[in-house]
Amino acid sequence: MTKEPNLKEIERRAYMAYHQDGLLDIFAGLFISGWGLGMLMDILWEFNFGAIMPAILIATVLPIWIAAKRRITMPRIGYVNFGTRGSNKIFALFLGLMVAGLGVFFAFTFATYQGGSRQWLDLIVQNGMLIVGFGSLSVCILFGYSMGLKRLYAYGLLAAIALVFGHFMGIFFAYILMVLGITVMVAGFALLIGFVRKYPLKGDKTIAE
Amino acid sequence: MAQLYVVQSADFLFLQNQTQMTPGNLSAHLSKLEDAGYVEVTKEFIERKPHTALALTKKGRAAFKEYRKKVKQFVEKLPE
Repeated sequence: MTKEPNLKEIERRAYMAYHQDGLLDIFAGLFISGWGLGMLMDILWEFNFGAIMPAILIATVLPIWIAAKRRITMPRIGYVNFGTRGSNKIFALFLGLMVAGLGVFFAFTFATYQGGSRQWLDLIVQNGMLIVGFGSLSVCILFGYSMGLKRLYAYGLLAAIALVFGHFMGIFFAYILMVLGITVMVAGFALLIGFVRKYPLKGDKTIAE
Repeated sequence: MAQLYVVQSADFLFLQNQTQMTPGNLSAHLSKLEDAGYVEVTKEFIERKPHTALALTKKGRAAFKEYRKKVKQFVEKLPE
């Protein structure tokens, strides 16, 4: 029977095919656990590793991720250029989050100047894990929805549960970050193994000719 | 054509994976679309390997839009 092609579904499938390799999870996990490790190193060597670690990780992990995409994903499922539409959506989301974050920051700063109190800052520090936990859940839901990656919901939920649990049990933030990062990395490796099995290399002909 | 409509460009392997067509079948489809001026084939080198990128032309996009419109009209006219 003739039916109208479901373009949204086709677009979603094309996008999903590109992110089912688990590389995003492996490198996100590496980033999270590396951040946690940086915080632990702060205590051991009394140097501010926790603050510089994210920058070091981005500078090292991002080029490896791009190279891994070229070496593992592209020879198996081919090359696709999604154009600017998809990236515009993600960029708008990033921008929205940044504006919202700045708005909250300025609102708090303004309230501090008005009232002359820094109570809100103490409140944030005291409840940091809860804020990061629910913040992670919101960010994961937003990105999971916009990228069509449902597993991000699970990661968000896992982060929220672990951080709320850590807050009430008094577990050090760095340990929770490391456990979360390793969990996401293991999930990524499981996805990568499944991906490599599903799309085996077919020799040089895989680079379309 | 629907696969190429939702992206800017893609290579043969990607289209084959997405459509689940055999290489011969897909190649025949693409040749016909290229002859009709609907698909543009660009040959380039990525990391010193030959790479063929396929994209819909303006004519191809317009033709696909028209096709969608016609199918939609046809489906709407069908009785419940």
